[in-house]
Amino acid sequence: MACFERVSPALKEILLKLYHAEKPVEIDHHLYEFGCVEYHVQSSAADPQNNYLSISTPLLSQGALLSCGLSSYTTQMVKQVCSDAVEIVEPAKEGYQLTLKLNLAKIPRGKDSYKVITQISSVQAVILCSQLKEMLRNVNSQDTSQGMNKPIKLVYHPREPFYVIRQPQKITAVFPMRFKEHSDVIIATAFFQELMDVGSSEKWAKAPPCTWSPIPPPELRGEPLEDLSTNGGFVSFDISSRHVEGKKLDKTVWSLLNFYAYVKKHVKGTRGFIQRRMQKRLESLVEVLNKNPKHKIDNQRALQFSFLAIEKLTVLHFDFCFSSPALQTVLHKEKLEENEDVRKFKAHAECRYVGKLVGLSKPKNFKRRCRDLTRKIMQIHFRIKIHGFRRFHRRWLTIPKFSSPLRYTKLE
Amino acid sequence: MATSLRLYLTCIRNTLEASLCLQNFPCQEVERHNKPEVEMKTSPELLLNSILICRNEAEKCLIETSINSLRISLKVKQADELENILTKKFLRFLSMRAEAFQVLRRKPVQGYDISFLITNFHCEEMQKRKLIDFIVQFMEDIEKEISELKMSVNTRGRLVATEFLKQFI
Repeated sequence: MACFERVSPALKEILLKLYHAEKPVEIDHHLYEFGCVEYHVQSSAADPQNNYLSISTPLLSQGALLSCGLSSYTTQMVKQVCSDAVEIVEPAKEGYQLTLKLNLAKIPRGKDSYKVITQISSVQAVILCSQLKEMLRNVNSQDTSQGMNKPIKLVYHPREPFYVIRQPQKITAVFPMRFKEHSDVIIATAFFQELMDVGSSEKWAKAPPCTWSPIPPPELRGEPLEDLSTNGGFVSFDISSRHVEGKKLDKTVWSLLNFYAYVKKHVKGTRGFIQRRMQKRLESLVEVLNKNPKHKIDNQRALQFSFLAIEKLTVLHFDFCFSSPALQTVLHKEKLEENEDVRKFKAHAECRYVGKLVGLSKPKNFKRRCRDLTRKIMQIHFRIKIHGFRRFHRRWLTIPKFSSPLRYTKLE
Repeated sequence: MATSLRLYLTCIRNTLEASLCLQNFPCQEVERHNKPEVEMKTSPELLLNSILICRNEAEKCLIETSINSLRISLKVKQADELENILTKKFLRFLSMRAEAFQVLRRKPVQGYDISFLITNFHCEEMQKRKLIDFIVQFMEDIEKEISELKMSVNTRGRLVATEFLKQFI
């Protein structure tokens, strides 16, 4: 399976460790990547000059396997990439397609060493690319042998095969797209449509024309049904000679090999994006709800201030008549209680998600407060008895009862 | 806001204002139980006629009322498959966090995308006007959010496609 990075990070780390080791180290590591690529790194303390790196990778084409596993072109490509420090061992170790003998002492010291080790670590990508490169290089060849238009099925991952069809003046790469989840299919389909739109615009005229179709293209007629049954449709790229000129060949090959990984990464990223956005939206929705208690606190405060104003007016009325320390104490207590109530209410309102729309019933609250105040006034015991004060109290200082329209009022 | 949407939301608002006259009513079947009658449907005399408000075939709102509870179910517009999955994902996401909204039902009524259940206790604890505001605001927000999300997904796809094609040039 191809990945965005050509270099295997684990292999690179091991090779760097070997290279920088002051004393010869004994290493026998088996590394697995993407479930189907295997590396075997061997280093012996007795023979530090010769380290062995064996690679097993699924070959791109199932139809054209050679006896040794690698074509001559691939071997040539591997030889080009690696420096003098690397030698291809033939035959390769059992179970592997390629075995390299590394003489790390021959790698030049300094900055170049890092470059060479990076190149050695990317040998799997070289193997993977070589076969497709070979096909794409022959785009303009006028080979008219039989079966030239027959699709070649390329498999570098069991679940992700793709087809290459050689046509006059171009090569078509067809990717049957399969996804596990329906939502992934929808996101990918939206992406393919955007890919078609962008590709067909004038700005991207130089890019290979891209088409997406939910049904298999006519070139794949005759292929096994299980290969043509997809849920994401078929994406085709028409590669012409200008896409494989010089250095572009390498880029084009790597882009095509990475197409599946690219789409999957986009789908995964979009799912994450949707999730983050929904989370953010939930927070903003809850924020809207959380605004309400604040308003309510303001309302509550206004209500309390109005009560306090009424009470203060009553007190003033009292003060006008007489001042009582007992009454002052009661009012002070009342004020403290109110402050406590406001504090509790605020704390309650600040709790997330809880009590968002909670509001005290205004008439009930007002009634309760008036009743309490009346009770407290009635409870005050005056030491000095004033003649006629009780009548004055009943007449002017009693707060009238609120009569509900639903209740009967006793007629006097 | 589109005129049709404004009219649709106003109609829902007015209907909710009229329907939200809930009172405490104990269960007639089980003693000392108090259950939302709109869910239980044990006594037909306690249920009122359901009201269906449709903006179009794909967008509708069902308001079911009973003596002590009201259930409002919404069907959100889904023009294409992308909108369909976005709506499903978003509403499922909200339903799974129903405790954050108190009145949100964890499972929507069949045939609808999301449902709310308001009981007389909610009306006593909360302010009726704000509850209605919340429902209407929620409907507005959902529609806006889905269309924004769709646009974002497409824009993201376009950017990714551009980056992919850049590699060939």
